[in-house]
Amino acid sequence: MTVLLSICVAVIFAVSVYLFTSRDLKSVAMGVFLFSHAAHLGIIAMSGQPLLTVSGETIRKAAPILGTSEAGLHVDPLPQALILTSIVISFAVTGFLLALLVAQHRRVQSMDVADLRDEDRPELPASIETVEMA
Amino acid sequence: MHNDWIALFVILPLAGGIITTALCGNVVLQRIAGLLVLGATGLTAVLLGSQLSPEVPVLVSFMGGWQPPYGIAIALDGVSATLIGIANIVAIAAYFHSFSTLSPAMERRWFHPLFHLLILGVNFSFITGDLFNLFVAFEIMLMASYALIVLGGGRAQMSQAYKYVVLNLVGSTVFVLTAGLLYGIVGTLNYADLARIVSDAKSTGAALPTGFQTLSVMMLFVFALKGAVFPLWFWLPDTYHTMPSSISALFAALLSKVGVYAVLRLFPSVFASPGAEGLTFVNQILPIAAGLTMLIAIGCALSAMNVRRILAMVLIAHVGYLIFGITLMRPMAFAATLHYMGQEMIVMAGLMLCCGVIEKRAGSMRLDELGGLAKSMPGVATMFFVLMIGLIGVPPLAGFYGKALLLREGIGAGSWGLVSATVFTAVLTLVVMLRIWVRAFWGESNSPGFAVPEGAEAGPSLRYGFAMVGISITAVASVGYGFAAEPTLAWATYATRELDNPQEYMFAVLGDRAPAAQPTAAIHKGMTTHEMKTIAMEGDQ
Repeated sequence: MTVLLSICVAVIFAVSVYLFTSRDLKSVAMGVFLFSHAAHLGIIAMSGQPLLTVSGETIRKAAPILGTSEAGLHVDPLPQALILTSIVISFAVTGFLLALLVAQHRRVQSMDVADLRDEDRPELPASIETVEMA
Repeated sequence: MHNDWIALFVILPLAGGIITTALCGNVVLQRIAGLLVLGATGLTAVLLGSQLSPEVPVLVSFMGGWQPPYGIAIALDGVSATLIGIANIVAIAAYFHSFSTLSPAMERRWFHPLFHLLILGVNFSFITGDLFNLFVAFEIMLMASYALIVLGGGRAQMSQAYKYVVLNLVGSTVFVLTAGLLYGIVGTLNYADLARIVSDAKSTGAALPTGFQTLSVMMLFVFALKGAVFPLWFWLPDTYHTMPSSISALFAALLSKVGVYAVLRLFPSVFASPGAEGLTFVNQILPIAAGLTMLIAIGCALSAMNVRRILAMVLIAHVGYLIFGITLMRPMAFAATLHYMGQEMIVMAGLMLCCGVIEKRAGSMRLDELGGLAKSMPGVATMFFVLMIGLIGVPPLAGFYGKALLLREGIGAGSWGLVSATVFTAVLTLVVMLRIWVRAFWGESNSPGFAVPEGAEAGPSLRYGFAMVGISITAVASVGYGFAAEPTLAWATYATRELDNPQEYMFAVLGDRAPAAQPTAAIHKGMTTHEMKTIAMEGDQ
């Protein structure tokens, strides 16, 4: 199970790194989303098997509720709490990134990474302060 | 000692963010509320910081009453208190500055709430005692910074913001992955508990779990990206000069230093703990990163033409100093690092704020378009000069003491390569700053902003009362920090005395679960004035 998950994590990381190398900003954004999914999956894989073998018998680990299961026989809740927090954060940031992509396309009129360099384009004002002076 | 009041460092900026959101539309009330909140945070920092003593070295609060290592702890020790206090001074200065330099449209939008949320993230990173919480604090800080970067929505800003957001997202994802993997390996994310595990492994001679070193390197990647350490600094000079100056001052002073703080807090005690088996690789790459950061960044500063870009490169070069101080792994070197970090935050913010006024007035920030500012803007020129010599490190000012101590410790540790890199960078910093001074402040005034329009008697007159208040705050703080070098260095020495082996921190957070060694009540005295003078004579700045 852990091996399978690790392979999934590796494949998703590889795909996201491939997307990072793209010149298209939409693909880079997709790469970022996949990157965070791979990280979350990696943490789940790291949190251990949901199955437990006790004296030759394989059982499912219990829910981590105090008083209902013995110590060591329940699933570790902390990685799941970590992932939940992280998912919420990456959800918010993803929304921001997509909004930024739209706003940036309206301003810069390009979805290409090469057009993000400002040195080559002297017609762009250097900073916001000079924009106001003009 | 248990003290729940330290949560105020998070609560107050949060309250500031909420109040200024509610007051949106009324700029005057927002400003007053914001200043009150910043003032209250500063007062809290002074009151709680003065409670720290050899008997009460760390103030701790457990969130929801859950005991660490399972619950989340926040802790205020000397290092956190110092940095929160200085961050607050910088924030107040930048806040004042924004009143007269930020365009009304930007201020009416969401500048005020975002500003306070950024401070919230910064303060939270300084007091948290848990690695995952540090991630959350970073995210709060970064989320506010993403929004601040695109505030105003200029074309240059928009094209740089995407890069900044994507890079930081990658950094954050690696951070959360590392935190999760670390939890899987050692079963804890509490700083004190991690330090306990590493110090147990050192005292028993046992090897750390397999993969610990890999995670250390991943952690270094994350903090090096935030702190702009070579080779991960390329995003910084591209973004800082696109923002309004009060915001870029805040970024320069706080954001990169939070990354350095995380290295200072976690690497000596956990991730690069000297003497721990199997952590040698991190200890090898840290000095290389420090040296290359200094040399390459200062070279870029020499070749740049935009003053704000030059300052951003100098900032990165000086991050190299701080990392150098950390790699030495000696208590006095940590003290020098903390002392230098404090002065660097103040001075860099001040210089960025000066740039804001100059850019507004002169209409350009390029060295070939500036000139004669000393005559046309004498007030700003004076402040710039004071801050500049503080940055270069002329002896009565604070930059000197940190640097001298750093060099002394470096020579003591025998790392001659980094010592010579530091001296070389210090000399080149002088050259870079003099280049700005000679070309922008001396000579004839030919800046576009001073050109007198046809038929008019003088150029546009602009008022910068609040901006000058902000700049004066940083200038006074920087001079005061230097002239008070004896108490400030003594305090820094006291605050950092056991960063590499945080016995008192572990005892305060973990209580009985801490290793057997009891907290020492030894009072660490700072250097005497005589020693200070000796260094002043030995140092060659």
